[in-house]
Amino acid sequence: MGPAGADLLSLATPYALHALTDIAIADIDRHLGGAPPDVVEAFISEVRATRETMAVIAAATAVEPPAQLRDQLLRQVTEDPVRSITAFQQQPRRWSRVVLAAAASVVVGLGAFGVSAALRTTPTPSTAELVFAAPDVRTVSGEIPGGGVATVVFSRDRDSGVLVMNNVPPPQAGKVYQMWLVDADGAHSAGTMDAEAVAPSTTAVIPDLGSSSALAFTVEPPGGSAQPTSPVFAELPLV
Amino acid sequence: MTTELDTLLRQVAGRDVDAFSAFYDQTRSRVFGLVTRVLRDPGYSEETTQDIYLQVWRNAEKYDPSAGSPMAWLMTLAHRRAVDRVRSEQAASTRESRYGAANAEPPSDHVADTVIRGDERRQVAECLGSLTDTQRECIQLAYYDGLTYVQVSERLSANLATIKSRMRDAIRGLRRCLDVP
Repeated sequence: MGPAGADLLSLATPYALHALTDIAIADIDRHLGGAPPDVVEAFISEVRATRETMAVIAAATAVEPPAQLRDQLLRQVTEDPVRSITAFQQQPRRWSRVVLAAAASVVVGLGAFGVSAALRTTPTPSTAELVFAAPDVRTVSGEIPGGGVATVVFSRDRDSGVLVMNNVPPPQAGKVYQMWLVDADGAHSAGTMDAEAVAPSTTAVIPDLGSSSALAFTVEPPGGSAQPTSPVFAELPLV
Repeated sequence: MTTELDTLLRQVAGRDVDAFSAFYDQTRSRVFGLVTRVLRDPGYSEETTQDIYLQVWRNAEKYDPSAGSPMAWLMTLAHRRAVDRVRSEQAASTRESRYGAANAEPPSDHVADTVIRGDERRQVAECLGSLTDTQRECIQLAYYDGLTYVQVSERLSANLATIKSRMRDAIRGLRRCLDVP
């Protein structure tokens, strides 16, 4: 094993202990992609053994959580509204002509884009088609700091919106974007998108607007969070 | 217990709430204990523990048995989550006041967990005690305080290679002592 391999291997323990920045982790992942098989195998083996060791060590710091945490969790799990947006993105479909005709001015504003499976034409109109054809349809757009534009086409009548993001960069390695509907009670999750879900053009349905006054975006760990754990980096007022 | 966790995770992937409760009950004190050790703050610790188990609920199908034990999968994602939280709190400059002694004991009003056997806890404590002071210090700063190895080297005024080998030796020592395969 050459010096480069040994250098990479020396980072296996910090890697397994999360004692690295996200950038360093992404860097190592890239190097592993091009490293010889014996180095990769040795690295994976060391990481795995370290993780198993720390799992056993966890017995030493075990503390019983408060009882209400269990109740809160079970409640959240049975009502869990968070879906990964990737579940909706299968094949792009074209808008039906009927929908385009009904909302021509709005669609022109959005430009050409691929349509996710959530928006596919079915015998009953999809949520998106309902939104676009609603009498009270409104559009709000905003630039995302970091690049790109997010647009929400929504209808209070249909209690739903369609989010379109164009040229928005994907979240940094190891993170997801999480969307939140903000109302007087606070922030309610409206879904997450990982780096793979954020294409040059990304579309998503946002149901159950309720009395929310804005759609906000934060960066979260994979799987999303119950409440925002990082500052809102973009917000679209739903007015 | 490992086989059972394996089965439970598979069931959680199938949206089985009872399996999820059982999984939570068997693992909650390890997760909450680690999170509390890393975050110190009771409020953040509860929130982060909740986020961790929500992640388990949403991503149970991603557990790959060939990559390691269910407990290692869980504790890895729990640790990652806790460290992410502590680093974002640090970025918001709220961390300093909670950083008393780096080796502070856990809060004395904690309830002894009901799942882990006394002899297991004792064996783990003994193995931790068998580390050298410098090895234990590295693990404390990196694993429990959420520092990167670069930050650890700065804190201890030691070079990067030294810190990396101390960490590696600490883990190898623990692994041998605990008989982890």
